[in-house]
Amino acid sequence: MNADFITVLWKEWKEIVLERSSGGGSYRPLILIGIIGILIPFRMSPERYFRPEQLLLPVFLSAFVITAVIADSFAGERERHTLETLLASRLSDRAILFGKIAASMAYGWVLSICCIVAGSITVNVVNWHGELLTYHDAASWIIILLGPPLLGAAIASVGVLVSLHATTVRQAQQTLAVGIMVLFLGVTFGSNALPVDWKAWFARILFTWSMADLVLAGAGVILVIDLALLLAGMARFQRAKLVLD
Amino acid sequence: MPEFAIRARGLTRNFGAVRALDDLNLEVPAGCVFGFLGPNGAGKTTTIRLLLGLIEPSSGSAEVLGFDTRTQGDEIRARSGALLEHSGLYERLSAEDNLRFYGRVARMPAAQLDQRIQELLTHLGLWERRKEAVVKWSRGMKQKLAIARPLLHRPGLVFLDEPTAGLDPVAAASLRDDLAGLASRQGATIFLTTHNMAEAEKLCNLVAVIRQGKMLAVGSPTELRSRGGGQRTEISGRGFSDEMLAALKRQGDVAQASVEGGKLILVLKNGASVAPLVSFIVREGGEVQEVRSGQGSLEDVFLTLMEEEHK
Repeated sequence: MNADFITVLWKEWKEIVLERSSGGGSYRPLILIGIIGILIPFRMSPERYFRPEQLLLPVFLSAFVITAVIADSFAGERERHTLETLLASRLSDRAILFGKIAASMAYGWVLSICCIVAGSITVNVVNWHGELLTYHDAASWIIILLGPPLLGAAIASVGVLVSLHATTVRQAQQTLAVGIMVLFLGVTFGSNALPVDWKAWFARILFTWSMADLVLAGAGVILVIDLALLLAGMARFQRAKLVLD
Repeated sequence: MPEFAIRARGLTRNFGAVRALDDLNLEVPAGCVFGFLGPNGAGKTTTIRLLLGLIEPSSGSAEVLGFDTRTQGDEIRARSGALLEHSGLYERLSAEDNLRFYGRVARMPAAQLDQRIQELLTHLGLWERRKEAVVKWSRGMKQKLAIARPLLHRPGLVFLDEPTAGLDPVAAASLRDDLAGLASRQGATIFLTTHNMAEAEKLCNLVAVIRQGKMLAVGSPTELRSRGGGQRTEISGRGFSDEMLAALKRQGDVAQASVEGGKLILVLKNGASVAPLVSFIVREGGEVQEVRSGQGSLEDVFLTLMEEEHK
């Protein structure tokens, strides 16, 4: 299983990198890193830049990048007539599924880490006083280490579920975009519609828990969601259905 | 290796109300080049999918390399190679990376894989362009690479769906030699579908003809020619009108009638005599200059079977 997983990951990574850099698009990732890793930090003070909230931007960037990449996972193979050959190989369902999810997660994670590192260098260069400036609280480090993979796994798992049954990459991308928008609006309006007691309970948590505890709790919730989505992906991955689709 | 590489009993597959495969019984001896012939939509692809364990039969069963297709599809896929309807190549990747991926999937050791990739690509005349993205290649080059892929790990059974489609005559002939060598030297079983009857005749030890999911005939090309092809007669002359062709087709002894290159081609049913038909042609206003008779080709057999089934 491990060797097969690595093999699929290797193939997917190569395809993602080649696809994202084809047609003169090799600068696309550099543009993202330039904006989020250099331009925005350039205008920020170190006190503001090295706060945990600022890490949400690169974390959401990784999720955004994964949305674009994961839609191609199965729908792209179907569109380019490579899926049946892949399914006719000795690869297990899990190796194919997890290899594809891991490759898109890795791509998003690498981009977000590049943005964070570039941002840290930019802020240090602009504000250099002979002392290295960096993140100094536990919450920030937890977000850096766990944010992109956990959020990335959730997005990639949802993306795989959509891509498994989409006819084309475009259809998968559109469904995924609409789904995420509905989720975002649902959370925004849903939280406003919560009973007053619940809101008070959440407010008490927000004001009494430390930032690190809040981030860890959030990571725990996302981990549970990830596991549920991965199980759903495994259940929906049916070789025969994919061949006949 | 079991005596039969493939053994199917009463294999049936329905898609809703459509019966794609109907009670297929098949025995393919190990080390044989087996040709599976049939028109489009006959059930060839469904059969390959069932034999690879990709889909389950509605009824019946099949064993491939001694493994049950329902429960041991993984074992079958691990021991076989398949070129399906489409080439299955990742066109963004290079030829080398395409083969490397499937070699790693087959768990070939790295050194052996490198050597095998070089051997195959050199043999196919693609070695110099191994680093190029496949998307830049011609159709023929892609097809050669697509054929190399299932042969990479030297499997005991290879499924090839229309392997010579898109190849030039020289490359197609070379591939036929390779496949024949693969079966004779390595004892591999080759299950191929093709529309090219001449190819099936040259290459296959055993041939089956399928139509609308039903097996119409199975045997060696020689057996089939003598069993169902009857006699092929070429008549040179003039006045072979469409009305005459239609009238000939209505004759009980005629399996097929057509005009090719100005000659009237008749395929007669077994035991039929050509003399009464020549008289009939003359009576209908045709002018006969020369009559040549011989054994029908596999294509004649195929067309006769299709026509009989249609009637």
